[in-house]
Amino acid sequence: MGYTPKQEVIHSVELFHDYIRDGRIRLREKIKEPTTVQDPCNVVRSGGLADKNRRLAEFLSEDFRPMKYQGNYNFCCGGGGGAMPMGGEMRKYRLKCGKIKAEQIRETGAKIVFVPCHNCIDQIRDLSKEYDLGIKAIHFKEAITELMEIPPEMIPEED
Amino acid sequence: MPDEVNPQEIIGFLKPRIGARFRTWLKICSHCGICADTCHYYIANGNDPKMIPSYKVRFLVDLIKKKGKVDKEYLEKVYHTVYHECNMCRRCTLYCPFGIDIALMISLLRSLLFSQGLAPDGLVRAIENYKKFGNQMAVTEEDWVDTIEWCEEEMAEELVGLKIPIDKKGAKIMYTVNAREPMFYPQDIMEVAKIFHVAGEDWTVPRKEGWDDTNLAMFCGDIKTAKYIVQNTFKRAEELQVKQIAITE
Repeated sequence: MGYTPKQEVIHSVELFHDYIRDGRIRLREKIKEPTTVQDPCNVVRSGGLADKNRRLAEFLSEDFRPMKYQGNYNFCCGGGGGAMPMGGEMRKYRLKCGKIKAEQIRETGAKIVFVPCHNCIDQIRDLSKEYDLGIKAIHFKEAITELMEIPPEMIPEED
Repeated sequence: MPDEVNPQEIIGFLKPRIGARFRTWLKICSHCGICADTCHYYIANGNDPKMIPSYKVRFLVDLIKKKGKVDKEYLEKVYHTVYHECNMCRRCTLYCPFGIDIALMISLLRSLLFSQGLAPDGLVRAIENYKKFGNQMAVTEEDWVDTIEWCEEEMAEELVGLKIPIDKKGAKIMYTVNAREPMFYPQDIMEVAKIFHVAGEDWTVPRKEGWDDTNLAMFCGDIKTAKYIVQNTFKRAEELQVKQIAITE
C-alpha cells in the first residue's frame, strides 16, 4: 500500500531532549523564573512526545509548573488545523476559543512558556496580548542556546 | 465556487471515502455528550450545544441522507463549522469511550468542500506557493540558500567551526524547517545550527524543495498537493541518503 518511507522522521523536541539527557549538550544553569510548557497537538497528542516534551522543559527550568491538563490531555491553543495561516477571517474565532489556553497559562503563574511549534507560538503570543498574560513564549531552541555550555575550543579568540 | 451544487458530485465524492470506519463511528456514536467538555470551542463559547464535537460532524450523515441535494448556503454552513469551530486537535477523541475520530471526519468534510471549490483564501494562497516554489511562503531556491549562508556566516562569528552543510550526502540527519523561518525568523535557523554544532551532530539541509516541513494543503483537504509536499521531502532524503528527517519546533 502506497509508499514506505526509508527514513525515520523525528522532531526537534526529541533530539534536544536526548542531547541534554545524554550529555551531548551541557547546561551552565537553568531558568530561574517559573516556566510551563505547551503541548502542541501534532507534536504531543498525535506525535507521541508528551514525556520528552515535559522532561525537556524540566531540564531547562528551576521552577517548572505543568498546566492543569498536560501531555496528551492538554488543550489546543486554538491556532491549530490551519487556523493561523487562515489569517483575518479566523482571528476572532481563534482568540475567543484561545481563552481556555490563556486561563491554563495564567493558572500556572509561569512567566516563560516553552512552545515547540510555530503555529502555537504565534497564537500564544496573540493570546498573551489579548488576555494580558504578561508571559514570554519561546521555542526550546532559544532557551537551550542561551543556557548551554560552549566547549572552550569553539569560543572565538578575542582580537 | 459555482452557485449550483451538483448532488452527484457530492455523493460521488463521499461514497468511496466513507468506508467501514466512518460508518461505524457515525453509527456507534450514542451522543452521550462526553466530548462536549473536552472541546475548547464548547467551553469558551458558554457551553454552546452547537459546538459539541459529535454535533459538528452531523453534516456527513445529513449529506448522505439528502443524497447530496443541498445548496450553496448549506455548504457555507458546513464551511463555518469545519473551519471556524474546530482545530482538528483530536482532544475529543481521547475522551470518547469509542475513540471516535471527529477530526478525521472534519477533515473529510474539508476535503469535500475543497472538491467544490470552497477553501479558506489563506490556505489556497499557500497551496499555490507550494506548487510553484515547494514551500508555503514562496521562497525561491536562491533566497533559501542565501539565507542559510547568511545564517552560517553570522553564527560562525560566535562559534568556531560552525557550518550549515547544504546537500551533504550521507549525513545522519536532514533538517527541515517551517518556511516562516527563512522568511521571518532566521534566528531559529541560527539557533538550531548552534545546538547541532555543540552537540557534534552530523546534519544537513537540502538545497532543493522539500525543506519546508509544513503542510497546509493537508488542512484544507487538498490531498493531492499534501502528498506532493511530503514526497518532495522524502525524495530529498533519499537523494542525500540520510538516516533521519528532523523537523523543526
